Amino acid sequence: MPGRHSLFWKLVVLLVAFCLLMIWLSWSWGRYMETQNAFLSSEARQALKGYAAQAEQAWQDAGTEGVDRWLAAIRQRENGWVAVIGPDLQPLGSTPWTAAQSQRLTFLRGLEWPVSRRSQLLPWMRVPFPHDAGAGSLVIELPERFMPGRYALLWHLTITGIIPGVFTFLLCMGLYRLLIAPLNRLREQANAWRADPLQGRLTAQATGRGDELGELGRAFDHMAERLQSTVALQRQLLRDLSHELRTPLSRLRVAGDSEQDCARLRDRVQREVQGMQRLVDDTLQLAWLDTERTAPALEPIQVQALWDMLAENACYESGWPSSQLQCRVSADCWVQGNLNALAQALENILRNAIRHSPPGGVISLAGRREGDQWLVWLEDQGGGVAERDLERIFHPFIRLDGSRPGDGGFGLGLSIARNALARQGGTLWAQNSGAGLRLNLRIPAAYNSME
Amino acid sequence: MNPATHCAGHILAIEDDPVLGAYVHEQLGRSGFQVTWCQNGKDGLALARGEGFDVVLMDILLPGMNGLDVLQHLREHSATPVILMSALGAEADRISGFRRGADDYLPKPFSVDELQVRVEAILRRVALERRRSQGPVRPESDDLQFDDLHFDVTFAGRAAGLTRSEFRLLDTLNRHADEVLSKAFLYQHALQRGYAQHDRSLDMHVSQIRRKLKAAGYQARQVRTVWGKGYVLSPGEDA
Repeated sequence: MPGRHSLFWKLVVLLVAFCLLMIWLSWSWGRYMETQNAFLSSEARQALKGYAAQAEQAWQDAGTEGVDRWLAAIRQRENGWVAVIGPDLQPLGSTPWTAAQSQRLTFLRGLEWPVSRRSQLLPWMRVPFPHDAGAGSLVIELPERFMPGRYALLWHLTITGIIPGVFTFLLCMGLYRLLIAPLNRLREQANAWRADPLQGRLTAQATGRGDELGELGRAFDHMAERLQSTVALQRQLLRDLSHELRTPLSRLRVAGDSEQDCARLRDRVQREVQGMQRLVDDTLQLAWLDTERTAPALEPIQVQALWDMLAENACYESGWPSSQLQCRVSADCWVQGNLNALAQALENILRNAIRHSPPGGVISLAGRREGDQWLVWLEDQGGGVAERDLERIFHPFIRLDGSRPGDGGFGLGLSIARNALARQGGTLWAQNSGAGLRLNLRIPAAYNSME
Repeated sequence: MNPATHCAGHILAIEDDPVLGAYVHEQLGRSGFQVTWCQNGKDGLALARGEGFDVVLMDILLPGMNGLDVLQHLREHSATPVILMSALGAEADRISGFRRGADDYLPKPFSVDELQVRVEAILRRVALERRRSQGPVRPESDDLQFDDLHFDVTFAGRAAGLTRSEFRLLDTLNRHADEVLSKAFLYQHALQRGYAQHDRSLDMHVSQIRRKLKAAGYQARQVRTVWGKGYVLSPGEDA
């Protein structure tokens, strides 16, 4: 079932109300018009009553002769059959009835009666004399122009065609405003990005709606946010990378210009090329970790074995005795991760710790189980970093100056470590332990670790 | 280019870059290989189909025909080992290369030493596979018992609890006891795939083998790291 703020309910209310309104309108108006069209208009009644008054006048003034004269006069004006009858249904004039006329005289309509539109012939109306109704009546075939319902077709068309049409038009306008106008705003926003690189955001009105369109707007903004940060990161990477590449390149240029000894020049070239290759590899790795969206293959990894492998490498690289790298993680510490990514993350953290350790410093790895996860931390004795830098050290190409011993590296190691961990569902953060920096890794535990 | 003399290793190099191609041609030739160099994908495919090369060394981005397509066509008829070389270092390229039947993948830039190690690893694996049919030769192991049925080793009646990959690795090291085996060869032979720079599974297997042998109480020999070369199973220093 859609949520409370869903467009579904708006549409349901709108369309149901519209349908009911339409049905009620055509039903009630139809009935109203039907009855309106069945009765004589008041103008017609006035005219017919006027004729009746004239006929009474003529009868009272001159009797049969007067009636004949009046009838002759009225037949000049009206095409239909006209007669004046007495209370006994006999003519007050001198002309007798034909049989057909007698027949029709048995069904006369009063002025207030509804007139059927179905009969082929025009109806005969009986209008009693206004002063003395008992003295007689005027009988007149209703003139065409007084026939009610002459505009029935027009009315019918209005009620069943034009008015529903107008209402539907209004409904469509409402729906358009409700549904399409926000989409147009999205389109305008997307087009606006062509000129202005992902800066603009939708208005609060567009994103504040509770319904699906509001959700769409928010998702749209969220996407813009992500795109903007990715683009910004890539630009930053590119800027930093070219900056970092310039240093070895200018050293090479200087060496090429001034160095005379071929062997030393070759040595220098090899060193710089190695450094540049590492820089490019690391940057590409970081960019790849940042853009790659497919989940890495996970497997259970024993942290102790991983540490043995990394510590052996690190001791060889740095010339440290293995006693300075201590592992206090128990053998049951199995985590669920991607071997290469986790090894790279831990290796970068370890290298970083070694680089910033004082001579003879001890680096130790410890860990404890926390629910479904293992919290593993690596501590060095390098004195830590300023509190405000605890987060900054994970940004690419950030190298803190002075405060910690050691140098070298491009400042990419910890960024790579954080991204590599994030890809396999882990997190990495730093804290000062007092003696040095402590890097915490939170990694999902593997299925077979003990409770 | 006489196919009859390819016992020293006859290599087909398909590389369009004239500098790199000439360099590979010269350096491998100096190392004792017989190298045929071709600059175009289509010609390379025709050559690889026609003559009996031991290894095909191929760039991915080639004029005429993409290296991956050449590989696919070649695999329809021939099992000649192929090493792909590419500046596209991304994981996706490596995977699609292996999926189409490449035996190894060498990201550019690479040193000639590395190339040579990989070529030798493949040639050696091929040679071993040919010899395998003549029956396994196993040096007498005084104390460590290899159990081919259960993929495990036992020492003094205690099983070490190796996994299959670990067993194959230890078995390979044991067959070539006291001989340094390159990572490229161990990947090719024991894990049956190419070696990549960031791939740590071999190191991890070695780490586990060491732990398990230690837990089983075996100390006469151990798997030692020879830096820059590979691993060797030899008597331990502290044994």
